[in-house]
Amino acid sequence: MNSITLKTFASFVILVLFQVFIFNQMNLFGYINPMLYVLFLVNYRFDRNQTLFIFIGFLLGFFIDLMSQTGGAHTIASLSVSFLRPIIIRNAFGITAELPKSFQSDPRIINKAVFLLFFILLHHLIYFVVVYFSWDAFSLILKSTSLTAFFSLLLVVIISSLFKPTK
Amino acid sequence: MQRIINALVQFRNPILYFFLLGFSLLFLSSRSSFHQNKIGELGFYFSSGLYKFSNSINQYFDLKEKNRILHQENTQLKALALKKNAPFLYDPYLGNPKRFPFKIRNVNVIKNSLLNQRNYIIIDKGTEDGVQTEVGVITSNGVLGIVKSVSKKYASVISILHQDLKINVRFKHSNAFGSLVWKGKGPTEFSVEDIVSSAQLQLGDTIVTGGMSSYFPYGIPLGTITHIENDSNSGYYIMTAELFENPSQVYAAYVIENKFKGEIDFLNKEAKP
Repeated sequence: MNSITLKTFASFVILVLFQVFIFNQMNLFGYINPMLYVLFLVNYRFDRNQTLFIFIGFLLGFFIDLMSQTGGAHTIASLSVSFLRPIIIRNAFGITAELPKSFQSDPRIINKAVFLLFFILLHHLIYFVVVYFSWDAFSLILKSTSLTAFFSLLLVVIISSLFKPTK
Repeated sequence: MQRIINALVQFRNPILYFFLLGFSLLFLSSRSSFHQNKIGELGFYFSSGLYKFSNSINQYFDLKEKNRILHQENTQLKALALKKNAPFLYDPYLGNPKRFPFKIRNVNVIKNSLLNQRNYIIIDKGTEDGVQTEVGVITSNGVLGIVKSVSKKYASVISILHQDLKINVRFKHSNAFGSLVWKGKGPTEFSVEDIVSSAQLQLGDTIVTGGMSSYFPYGIPLGTITHIENDSNSGYYIMTAELFENPSQVYAAYVIENKFKGEIDFLNKEAKP
């Protein structure tokens, strides 16, 4: 086990625990629970095996669902987002440019912001669509998605800026 | 085999994704009864569409039987409707005042024609089903003809499209009566004869059967007047009427049999010198 795998594994465990025991209990303004665990899916290296990544995304959501006694919404959202990540990367960083090896190592700030925004919005949209699962709650889904995505984005930016990019 | 494995390897990401998605949907529905209901509703939405489709196909194959049942039901309703039309003979306090001695059977037309000047129709019931000669045949919107001869399973009918057949008619809003004759033009174009010009009539008046003959009860609607001409020489109207229904395109019909026809015929014979 090399150090990168170890770090990845450690961040997986830590993020799941943080998400379940801290961020899922926050209830900001009554109903906003920011989702920090998206950070793991963002930071996972871009040049790794995509199949393994889909499986890890599935496991991440699955553990959070299991431990926080919710349905399968986290599982479906994080699984779908890990499946769609290459498409988001291609759209955010451009097809012609050389693809970055990981999120943190890339210097282009605007591209990174676009990537982060789309990634988190898509994840939250899928999550809330699965949670409400009804056409009647359309406006409610949009409202929850935008508000929670804002706080998640804020948290992800703050937390990732605390740690220096690994070389 | 190699190709299948290659395809599996090539599409391993979508395959894995959809497999895990299916698993998480199962997980979702097992953990949350709300989502279980919602997913069930979705399945019901699709399956109900399928059921509707298969039902419409099944109904199509049932149509013949359904038609038979409807025809039978219509026969009973027809009898009730005609009975309601029958004129009051005496005050209703004295019991059922309407005399309606008619019996109705449903038949199907199996051969029809309109090209001759004297047309005949064949229907699919005969003596075995109780059809006799000299009884009337009506349709849902008019009169078809009079039974001429009967075999065991079939009967031939003098069509209303026959130049020698005269049908006793009267008007819905006037008591003037006359007879309806086909002149060999269009299949719905008839002339109405023997109506005295003192009667008050208008274009568009409805013609109904008169009830004077023993064949048809009073009040079967036949058609409307499309042309009136007052012929001052003869003292009779010259009139054209348009039938509600084209008699050459009828499939379902009813044989209407007067139980007292023998008595009436006997009296008619006696009255003649």
